[in-house]
Amino acid sequence: MPEGIKPVLCSGNGRARIVTEQTLKTNPCPCGSGLRAVRCCALDAAALPAQDNTSLLETQATEATKFFNEKKYTEAEALALKILDLAPNQRTALRVLFEIRKAQNKHDAATALGKRLAGLPGLAAARAQANTQFAQYLVAQGRHAEALPIAAAAVKATPKDATVQHVMGVVLTETGAVAEGEAHYRKALKLLGRDDGLVLANLAWNLKLQGRLDEAAAVYETALALRADNKRGAGGQAQVEFGRGNREKSVAVLDAALAQWSGDRTLRLLRTMADLSMRQPQAAIDRLGPADALMAPEVLARAQAFDQLGQLPDAVNAWVTARRMQRERGGLAYRPEAIQAQAAAYKAYFTADRVQVLPRAGAGALTSAARTGAFTPVFLLGFARAGSSLLEQLLAQLPGFAIGDEFGAIGELAAALPRLTSSDATYPEALDELLVGDNLQAPDRLRGIYEGKRERLGLVRPGVRFITDRAFSNFWHLGLIKLLYPEAPIIHVLRHPQDLLLANMAHDRKFEGNAQAGLPALAHYYGVHADMIRHFRGQLTLRYMPVRYEDLVANPAGVLREVLSFIGAETNVPDNIGANNAAVPDPLPAHFAGREPVHQHGAYKHRAYVAAMPHLFDEVRDTLAPLIEELGYKPLGVTEGAAS
Amino acid sequence: MSEAQQVAPASPPPGKQVIPLSEALEKLSKLEQENKLVEADDLATRMMAAMPEHPHILHLAGIVSYRNGRIAEAIERMEKSQVIAPEVALYPRNMCEVYRGAGRLEDAVRAGQRAIELAPNDARAHFNLALILYEKLDLEESVRVADAAIALEPDYPEAHFEKAEALLLAGRMKEGWESYEWRFKLKQAEGMLPKTDKPQWDGQPLPPGRLLIIGDQGFGDCIQFGRLIPWAALLCPQPIVAASGELTPILKQLPGIGKFVTRWEDTGDYDAFIPLSGLPRLAGIGTDNVPPAGYLAPPAALVAEWGEKLDALCPKGKKRIALVWAGRPTHKNDKKRTLKLKQFAPLFERDDICIVTVQKGEQIAQAGSYYGRAPLINLGPEIGDFIDTMAILKNVHRLVTIDTSVAHVAGAIGAPTSLVLPKAPDWRWLLDREDTPWYPSIKLYRQQVAYDWSGVIERVAAEL
Repeated sequence: MPEGIKPVLCSGNGRARIVTEQTLKTNPCPCGSGLRAVRCCALDAAALPAQDNTSLLETQATEATKFFNEKKYTEAEALALKILDLAPNQRTALRVLFEIRKAQNKHDAATALGKRLAGLPGLAAARAQANTQFAQYLVAQGRHAEALPIAAAAVKATPKDATVQHVMGVVLTETGAVAEGEAHYRKALKLLGRDDGLVLANLAWNLKLQGRLDEAAAVYETALALRADNKRGAGGQAQVEFGRGNREKSVAVLDAALAQWSGDRTLRLLRTMADLSMRQPQAAIDRLGPADALMAPEVLARAQAFDQLGQLPDAVNAWVTARRMQRERGGLAYRPEAIQAQAAAYKAYFTADRVQVLPRAGAGALTSAARTGAFTPVFLLGFARAGSSLLEQLLAQLPGFAIGDEFGAIGELAAALPRLTSSDATYPEALDELLVGDNLQAPDRLRGIYEGKRERLGLVRPGVRFITDRAFSNFWHLGLIKLLYPEAPIIHVLRHPQDLLLANMAHDRKFEGNAQAGLPALAHYYGVHADMIRHFRGQLTLRYMPVRYEDLVANPAGVLREVLSFIGAETNVPDNIGANNAAVPDPLPAHFAGREPVHQHGAYKHRAYVAAMPHLFDEVRDTLAPLIEELGYKPLGVTEGAAS
Repeated sequence: MSEAQQVAPASPPPGKQVIPLSEALEKLSKLEQENKLVEADDLATRMMAAMPEHPHILHLAGIVSYRNGRIAEAIERMEKSQVIAPEVALYPRNMCEVYRGAGRLEDAVRAGQRAIELAPNDARAHFNLALILYEKLDLEESVRVADAAIALEPDYPEAHFEKAEALLLAGRMKEGWESYEWRFKLKQAEGMLPKTDKPQWDGQPLPPGRLLIIGDQGFGDCIQFGRLIPWAALLCPQPIVAASGELTPILKQLPGIGKFVTRWEDTGDYDAFIPLSGLPRLAGIGTDNVPPAGYLAPPAALVAEWGEKLDALCPKGKKRIALVWAGRPTHKNDKKRTLKLKQFAPLFERDDICIVTVQKGEQIAQAGSYYGRAPLINLGPEIGDFIDTMAILKNVHRLVTIDTSVAHVAGAIGAPTSLVLPKAPDWRWLLDREDTPWYPSIKLYRQQVAYDWSGVIERVAAEL
């Protein structure tokens, strides 16, 4: 770079670009706002006109708004650009340009403008409005995490604004803070002083996510009665009813909605999934129509239908196609770097020597009652589709058990740990803080938070001695689990790795790093999952028990008795226990929607696939072979019976 | 060989150095001795490419292969060198040790005998053969060959020590203890004794506080011979005991000790010193007069604490079996005594037991790959010291272990133990018996075939 020309960073879309001072003077901003860079992403805040003075341009700006409202977009844009060249902080003109760029799907520009708009000083109401608009824009794009601070700023500016509370509810719900989201929805309704169809529908979805299906169903009834033109609401209601076991009603809701919005693909896909759940694969295929017009999730549904029909090469062909579409068109290629870095960091931190010195919750209290508290958590490990949900469904039928599913995961505590311990480091290094001062009691405090969440979920109630925790992320967090519950039982549901890959490839679930991107990606991610559990088991004293899916489906009562004996529950298990004859728990985990009588057609499913396609697993052979051997299944290529 | 011979190809690529063969051989040998095995491997490969039929290159390359764990390749290379140069005594001498490492004892004996034939005056050749004969449990012959080595080189500590081990293993304790005294002249014993002009104790009475007892050698030895401290204290009251910090809490349980130190500079004045491993000789210990075990015990409160912990961790109604499968990897005989966790599979099949591993060290990682039928609690990460281990052993049905310090801990507290031993065990376990005079609570399970554990663990499992 020639001397005298300084690089300037333009952060329009978060990505740094290098612009020279020379070009800066004349060139438009790289974010695509249409403004010059000095008036946009490279503007000097100190050189801005005072906010009050921009009102001199208000008349012109109102004119631009008028053009916009009259759909005279060219005129509106030209005028807004002129005004903003004079005063880049002119609120009304900024709003007009933001709306135009948003409508044009120019997301870098809209983001830059929306962010600037949201940051303008001014009256609380104006600030709240700008933040809310920007937050809504981000939500519409699925950028919920970015929307979080924006929505929060709006709430702080005008806490009594129902819209602001509603948006906060959406953002929290979608970022996983579901119970917190509910609180904001309820505030919004209270502020409105009346029922609102949209807020209620969102609240109902929130309740569904919390497993409170009966409440969700009731709220959906009200919401959709108030506002029937809500496609998403109808879809949500159908899912709630399906989850409650009201399959007929669910199908009726979907059919009615599809009659009204026949082209809606989300509704059609939900209806297709209902077909598949009821084992009507041909109906599903017919409903989806010609394969070449389908999107990836629809092609995956087709893969499941083919699997049910026993057309295995067609099933593989479908999921291969779907995954390719997701990779190539959806930008969902496997990104293992962050996963590998996390695995390396956790493995480096959680060694026997290092963990031995860390304080544990309940330390000093020698009686086991004091150590384990009012209930014993039972942590269920297992890769996706290994059968931990089946185990949970079975446990749900036994007295003394409450079902925690994935609600309120330990992983949330890991994320919050640096804040809770005032550490500058990230997890897990932040655990070093536990060695010092009042953080010696941090494991007890963290356990309190975890148990508080379980209490709010209604899981802690008389007669409950065991609460399951089936959070998928638990495989990352056995180190923290050890500190919080040093002697809690950990049940690991194992399943033949090839079966796991097959089941996941056809299933539309997004994993971290897009590990669902293809067979090699998923095999690699499965390897990381196995490696983390192996590492923690090797370095920590865990009360760990493996359970094989294949044994569980062959002999549910027998395996369940072994599990109960391991965790110390003296509970009688009926011989005829099955997954579908249970009273549904409250809150109701999502996986209960798919429950069916315990069956064995998922066990060693890969054999039929390999018989039809001998080379199906060739590309993952090197990854899988040692894992299969370690688990004690028959080596790859050997198909006679199974060691277990 | 001529100095003119060169290792590198005739016209080396630019930048490659051409060095004379003798220099290259010396360099290879040096790399091997300095444990720079990757570099040595690289150099050996290049040298072999340049001169594939050179016996000494083949021989050294074979040693490098051996050191890198590629035993079959080592044997192939070294056998070839022997065929090319059958009269070089060094080759069968080293071969002898490589065959031993490969478990081929008959071949090792033949190589050892050939080395002696070629160089009848080489004490090292005799010593190597004595080692093999010990492995073959041909103990009388081992002593005879070690004596031949000593006759050639009277100041040869390794040969004396080998003789001691053979005598002790054969139960010839009194003679054995005398040769055993050579152990402090072994290279690895450096620094174990204080630098002092005071004499080694001769077993005669001394005034109180004037005897320094040194916790030398490994933990196991210290625990085993620690039982003789009270005997020494009868003759020399309140002895000073110098031992590592980790041993101190254990030895503190023994009566009669004056003070403990962990650093030489803290010993204060004394009239004589004695390593713990020297006490059996002075006390005249044979196989029939070993002071009884049960001389150590964990504190009751700690036993109760671990009991509660194990109650919480282990499923009810199952026999708890403690397990140690690996020793310290730096131990000279570790390869012979250490197993992989999965080799204990016959134990894992039993559904009436719960495995509680009291393994420490890097090998605990193997517990992460355990998927046996019996529940396994990897307790090692919670264990702080040997006192913890003792307290744990008081809370289990039985210990199953290899020949390592935990076996001594268990024996000293009288915990029921199944000890698995290699065919040629450490001398202290003697031969042809299932019990040991040192520890009545230990039952011995011996390999039937050298280096082959099959059948051993099955017998242990069947008798739990």
